[in-house]
Amino acid sequence: MEILGYITLSLFIGLMLLTLFGYIRTPVQTVLVLSTVLTLIIGAVFRYFDSGWNAVLLMPNEFLGGIILHPITALLTGLFLAGGLKASGGFEALKKMLNYLRRSPIGLVGTLVILINLPVIASLPCGRILAASLLPLLFTFGLEGGMGLLTKSQIIVLIGAFTRNAMGSCGPSPIGGVGQIGEGFLGSFFPTASEGILRAPQAFSLMLGTAVVALFLKFVSKRFYPDDVALRDVPPAWKAEGLREAVIEAPAKGYLALVIFVVSLLVSIFQPFGKMPVQTVLVGGALVMVVACRIRINDLLDGIILLPVTAMAAGFLAAGALAATGGFDALGVILNSLVRVPFLGIAGMLAIFVQFQTILPLSCSRILTAALVPVLYLFGPAKFGFLDWSQLAVVMAAYMINATTSCGPSPLGGGGMMGEGTMRAETGFIKGAYTFSSMAIMAPLAAIYMKFLNLSVFQPSNPDFVRDIVTIGEFTLVVAVANILFIAVMGRLAGTNASTNWFIQLVVFLAGGAIAGGILAFALFEQNFALITQGVAGGLIAAALIALMVPRTLSRRMTATLTGPEM
Amino acid sequence: MDSEKEREIKHQRKDTEQPLVLPGIHRYQFFTNLKDRGWTKNLDRAAVFGIVAALAATVIKPLTKGNPATIYCYECRACYATQDRCPVGITFQAELVVAGRVGDYDRFIRSGGLKCIRCGNCQSYCVQYLPLPVMFAAMQEDTRRAIKKGIVPRCSLESAMTYGLVGKEFIDDVVRALA
Repeated sequence: MEILGYITLSLFIGLMLLTLFGYIRTPVQTVLVLSTVLTLIIGAVFRYFDSGWNAVLLMPNEFLGGIILHPITALLTGLFLAGGLKASGGFEALKKMLNYLRRSPIGLVGTLVILINLPVIASLPCGRILAASLLPLLFTFGLEGGMGLLTKSQIIVLIGAFTRNAMGSCGPSPIGGVGQIGEGFLGSFFPTASEGILRAPQAFSLMLGTAVVALFLKFVSKRFYPDDVALRDVPPAWKAEGLREAVIEAPAKGYLALVIFVVSLLVSIFQPFGKMPVQTVLVGGALVMVVACRIRINDLLDGIILLPVTAMAAGFLAAGALAATGGFDALGVILNSLVRVPFLGIAGMLAIFVQFQTILPLSCSRILTAALVPVLYLFGPAKFGFLDWSQLAVVMAAYMINATTSCGPSPLGGGGMMGEGTMRAETGFIKGAYTFSSMAIMAPLAAIYMKFLNLSVFQPSNPDFVRDIVTIGEFTLVVAVANILFIAVMGRLAGTNASTNWFIQLVVFLAGGAIAGGILAFALFEQNFALITQGVAGGLIAAALIALMVPRTLSRRMTATLTGPEM
Repeated sequence: MDSEKEREIKHQRKDTEQPLVLPGIHRYQFFTNLKDRGWTKNLDRAAVFGIVAALAATVIKPLTKGNPATIYCYECRACYATQDRCPVGITFQAELVVAGRVGDYDRFIRSGGLKCIRCGNCQSYCVQYLPLPVMFAAMQEDTRRAIKKGIVPRCSLESAMTYGLVGKEFIDDVVRALA
């Protein structure tokens, strides 16, 4: 049966690669369902000969287990609220409030920085909730949205950075976030792990990663894909006159809707009325909007966008079929066997392992996290003994932030597609920025933070506490400066030749990956040169795999999409 | 040059021809309006039908099986923190919930569902305080019925016996099924 896992895993990865590189030109949902059906057929044949007809009949139950209802329903409730806010004039009310805020001492920039970091502040269990509700608002800052406060370039940065922050905020969420998978396992040794041992490293690295994404989008993505964002820029004549500010009128019920929205979010975060699903609270909020703001149920339904919902569900089906046929087991075996590769060893294997979800980004990070975190756990004292508990916590921090941010760059119905849709960019526009930040910034910083601060906090007797904080500062500075430098170089070298641009990007990714791998190895094994070298080797391999998946051009695929298959 | 120009013109989006959606929402992300149907429209329609049917089945199944609380599980795995506090050493509680939702007997047995004594220690770790013992009990009874009917594959039961995954409440049923 083991061979079945390898077959289905190869089939899935093959189909995904063909889709990503544009060789299969059907909607991603179709490809994922096709992958599910093929996997199940192959699995059924194997099962029939191995375990008999009964085992075949139970397969549908097994692959349905791959569906995780929570992010799907969370997204739907977010979209409900967006529909409610739109119909009641809540967005207009928010615009007026933002107008007041930008005239305050924090100004427009300060206001936007708060908005961009709102997802990690709120830390809801799925980033799509806030993204679905607030992306339409961010769009309104631009010319087409009516406010005309920001240029096309600024809107791209704003939406891209906000979506990055949102698609990662499920990591540090204490109310059903993905990070809790890792915290649950670490609870075996750290008594208070389930209270949030991974939360601070994730939030810290996510904030810095968001800033780097903004730079990457501004200086690299826009130059690499100049024709792939269909937003309109401010006409030159307007530029000469200065941007015209639209007059915004907000009805009273808009403010009321906004208050209901904020109260719903607060109730879902702080749960003052006892534990209850976030979805229940948000649907309750939407219904209160219907009554108090006199909107129709249809207005709520208008907010629903089917693509992210169906794509995510299709991703779960494909993952469920893989799990049912042993595909993830095969993946675990492959990753485990990397330890035996001489130039990789344990440090190199872990450098690849922590980046794995960015290498293969799926529609929701929970799909692979649920399959791979138990494998990671077994690397610790529980089975293989490659790592002690502290080292396992460090790897878990790096792995988890990389995993939770992986739905961002996923072209298979990932949350980042919502951002791309809002900025009217072709699928893949944000992929370079998002994967680079996850790989080169977030994973190493989360590891360092865990090593030098969280584990110190969890051992209060540690006399080196201040020194550890300074060490984190130093590492943060080095990682940030190095990667900002890389981005600046990429932006400067970017030309009109897509292949050259892509090659430059590959080199920069390799450099970023090598540093990330080295830092992870240092965080784990400290000053062991051989292991750090192995970490660098692993980081290089992970970076190469990630960079190879970043599309060279988007326009050709977009043109083909718009004009039909004859192009 | 002409062909380049033509391509450029074709490349432009005609937003006015696209359906109205929320401000800023990618027009081409509308499933009904995709122009890149490589093979046939019906393939895409079948795919969407499959997705919707699967989602419906995931919600309806637990309702009909008397285990509706499983629908509310976030699958955050916070319950894994139970660890040593589980008296029978179940490590992956969330797996039991998912198995209960979809009726995946093999997964339930493999994850130790038949040795659970429903003490409720794991419930305190659930971020929503879902009634985990009740959910596990419902699935245990469902699994017992399936074992009696001979639906559960023999290899699953044999493996469960080998690794000590069957509690004393169920051992007779499993032994009878294997006999």
